[in-house]
Amino acid sequence: MPALDIPFFGTLVLCLILISASYTMAVAVGAGQGRPHLLPSARWGTYATCALVLVAVCVLAYAFQTHDFRIRYVARYSDRSMPWWYLIASLWGGQDGSLLWWAFLLSGYTFFVTRWLRGRYTELQPWIIATLMSILIFFAVLMLFAANPFATYIRTTPGDGEGLNPLLQNYWMAIHPPTLYLGFVGWSVPFAILIAALVTGRLGTEWVRAARLWSMIAWSFLSLGLLLGLLWSYEELGWGGYWAWDPVENASFLPWLVGTAYLHSVLIQERRHMMKVWNVFLLALTFFLTIFGTFLTRSGLIASVHSFARSDIGQYFVWYMGFLLIGIAALIIWRLPKLKADNQIESLISREFAFLLNNWVLLGMMVFVLIATTFPLLSQWLRGEEVTVGPGFYNKWMVPLGILLLFLAGLGPLVAWRKATGSKLLRAMVFPVGVGVSVAVLQVLFGARVGYPPIVEPTEIYDTTTGTVLAWMSAVAPAVSFSTCAFVLASVGQEFWRGVRVRMRKGEGVATALVRLTSKGRRRYGGYIVHVGIVFMFIGFTGAAYDVEKESALRPGETMSVGKHTLRYDQPRMEADPNKRMIFTDMTLLDESGNEDGQVAPAKFIYRTHPQMPTTEVAIRSRPAEDIYVIMSTVDPSTRRGTFRIIIRPLVAWIWFGGLVLLLGALLGMWPTGRELLREEVARPRRFRFSPATAVVALAIVVATMMAWVGVASAQNDSSSSLHAGSVVINDPIERQLFGRLLCQCGDCARLPLDTCACGWADDKRIEIRELLAAGEEPTKIQESYRSQFGAKALAIPSDKGLDRALWAVPVGAMVLAMAFIILLGRRWQRRSAGGPTRGSATAGAAIEYDSRLDEELDHLEQS
Amino acid sequence: MADLLPWLFVIVATVAIIAGLVSLWLSLSLALSDEALGGVRAQLTTDARRALLTQKEALLQEIRDVAFEHDADKLSDRDFQELNEKLRAEARQVLHALDAGAESFRDEAEALIAERLAAKS
Repeated sequence: MPALDIPFFGTLVLCLILISASYTMAVAVGAGQGRPHLLPSARWGTYATCALVLVAVCVLAYAFQTHDFRIRYVARYSDRSMPWWYLIASLWGGQDGSLLWWAFLLSGYTFFVTRWLRGRYTELQPWIIATLMSILIFFAVLMLFAANPFATYIRTTPGDGEGLNPLLQNYWMAIHPPTLYLGFVGWSVPFAILIAALVTGRLGTEWVRAARLWSMIAWSFLSLGLLLGLLWSYEELGWGGYWAWDPVENASFLPWLVGTAYLHSVLIQERRHMMKVWNVFLLALTFFLTIFGTFLTRSGLIASVHSFARSDIGQYFVWYMGFLLIGIAALIIWRLPKLKADNQIESLISREFAFLLNNWVLLGMMVFVLIATTFPLLSQWLRGEEVTVGPGFYNKWMVPLGILLLFLAGLGPLVAWRKATGSKLLRAMVFPVGVGVSVAVLQVLFGARVGYPPIVEPTEIYDTTTGTVLAWMSAVAPAVSFSTCAFVLASVGQEFWRGVRVRMRKGEGVATALVRLTSKGRRRYGGYIVHVGIVFMFIGFTGAAYDVEKESALRPGETMSVGKHTLRYDQPRMEADPNKRMIFTDMTLLDESGNEDGQVAPAKFIYRTHPQMPTTEVAIRSRPAEDIYVIMSTVDPSTRRGTFRIIIRPLVAWIWFGGLVLLLGALLGMWPTGRELLREEVARPRRFRFSPATAVVALAIVVATMMAWVGVASAQNDSSSSLHAGSVVINDPIERQLFGRLLCQCGDCARLPLDTCACGWADDKRIEIRELLAAGEEPTKIQESYRSQFGAKALAIPSDKGLDRALWAVPVGAMVLAMAFIILLGRRWQRRSAGGPTRGSATAGAAIEYDSRLDEELDHLEQS
Repeated sequence: MADLLPWLFVIVATVAIIAGLVSLWLSLSLALSDEALGGVRAQLTTDARRALLTQKEALLQEIRDVAFEHDADKLSDRDFQELNEKLRAEARQVLHALDAGAESFRDEAEALIAERLAAKS
């Protein structure tokens, strides 16, 4: 390989990928159109294409490791001082390379799916392969014509590279993007299965079963990717906490919301053969949103703290999305007669209807986030005015919807399939509701004493009635959230207990009953465990309402106290490696008696290639009750005096713990049954064979490895970085409300409001605004003058009038209409079901014989 | 490690190139031959039966779940009786359809086996 012209060879391989994928797609289409003998040929063509993608990735990785700075991408995202692991992470650190990485992950999925399909779903196979190849063709075209990772400099080759952005030089870069991509790309497989079903007209439960495992794998990776993103963002000082509703974060959240709705809704189709069009729509929308999210991230159309640079590839995505929309819509319309439901909802008090409500909330959240994320673009197109939708808007609207979703997560398990008995449901709700109410009462009585008052200070995002209503909703949200969490935990606990009790009546002990109950109903109980994980995460999110922070300047030996914690500043310390200089400030945590209770060392890193961008390394001491988040704002080398900001963040650790529980629940839901394992064993006793069993085991290993990696990496380096050197002090609620509405306009801190942005410009602006407030100026007037000075885009939340009101009015209106439609539809179904004849009455004479056969088969099912 | 990695990528790329070329060769040779796939045809002929078997499996699962939900005190006796009877009636119908279709399926299966055996000999 060294004798080869690497950039030319890389581009040649990209051309070969395009040719091979096109050929394979053509052969697969031929196989699907009545020439089944072409199917093995398509399968081998798929393997060849996947191998070529692997070659392209190896060539780029080789170029990074050998510092081949003739390649522009290598020169832009690496330098000679970077260690080998960051050189590998640079593969997906920039636009062009990340597209190749996307293609690589897609080819990995394609390879495993093709292996898995051997001997399965023969009629769907050609179209699954053709669809996956078509997606690969799109990415190959993108790389060849718009973002070639092997493109070279036209004139001189630089002696050294620019280096990876310092913010990206940490272990999160190695694990978060690949995991998130695995989640994004993973939805291609169920989508391909769906397209195959639509093309062939095989729209029964076959495709749903085929897509089940792959959609769970994609959902799990997407959840893991989001969780790792939360962790990374939490450790980055300048990224606005674990979730800042940044467009790029939203881009990954949108498919998660719709994918979650699909996973619930598809259960109805599996059991009742209904909601077929809806499930097709949800799965297609999930895949579409992965492409739309990639478009948002790649095109640079919307300002974001971590999007890629503005580029020309946006137009390719627009064409592809247009093609997808038209193609999917045409297929659905064509197949509408085959997508008719076989059954109807029998009662509004049923699990099916609870799932419909769950879909309503999830899709409502999706519409909210989608409109808010794209609103700046819409505003620009419709009225030529640039606006920004900051985190405050999302937090105010998403919290009530999130709590409603949480409530449904507790209600759903209590309701029976088909038709629950009303009185039984009410009785089942007594314990969970009692627990929820008890928690609320306890919080009202004792919450304030332990630092968790039931009502927090209301902040208004609008000076209108809507603003006041939202403010009060958010003020009571912590109490409602804790109470709902308790309700869901009690509901899930009760479900486990009821199941165990049923088995105990058959003579099993508690432990045996619990194990058998869970192992025989993996999907059901795995799902319940996922709900428990969500509850823990909500506990962590709710803790954010009780954050406390303080800033002090200290000399070595001096202490500062925040809440019940005291920290002593010991000394500054300097270290260096070939890549950077590091200035640490050692601090000791002291307990209430003054004894030492641990060490933290917030720092600043100055990278060799980016000396003008010192990063602030946060030190975090994490405990279940609260995190101590320590930031060193400045340190004077001559006097050794340091400025520190300390934030006490209650319950944050529950988010990570909840995420872990959620993933374990998802794994349990996917875990293969003994029958599946046995079938695999019998079918091919000596050779490896890809099957659901191996897929899930592989996923479990990946998840466990990643979680272990996170643990080890966190243990090695309990800190993270930010380019922001300063810190923020908020003196009173008026300041908090006003600063939260105004965005920093320094040019670098896109979308950060003044209540969190720590740059020098924001600091000066805060001082200026404080002076105006001290002079008696009204906050609304200050806001108006800020708007007229910097434009509408300088406000964190658009106003509550004119077109701006559409930002919340459209999704709220859509949700109200959708709810009315769901209720009307449900009632209609209920009436039809009550009036309709009982299907499937066999002859009376044969009934007894069939009943005994049914009993036999049920016994067999119970024992399997 | 930093010295070894480039060579590791060279080796992996070489193996991938060979695997890719072999796969492409196999794909082309299979595409140009017109060997029929009995297995594919066999599966194409069992669609209706497969759908019935899937339906039967789903109904059995539902009958079991309804009984479980009744035992777990989520369904009253009356609702349980009504649902159970409805599901069993559907299941009986599916069993009936499976039995009715078995004869033609058997004939078809025998014909396919004979065809395969003839092709092998």
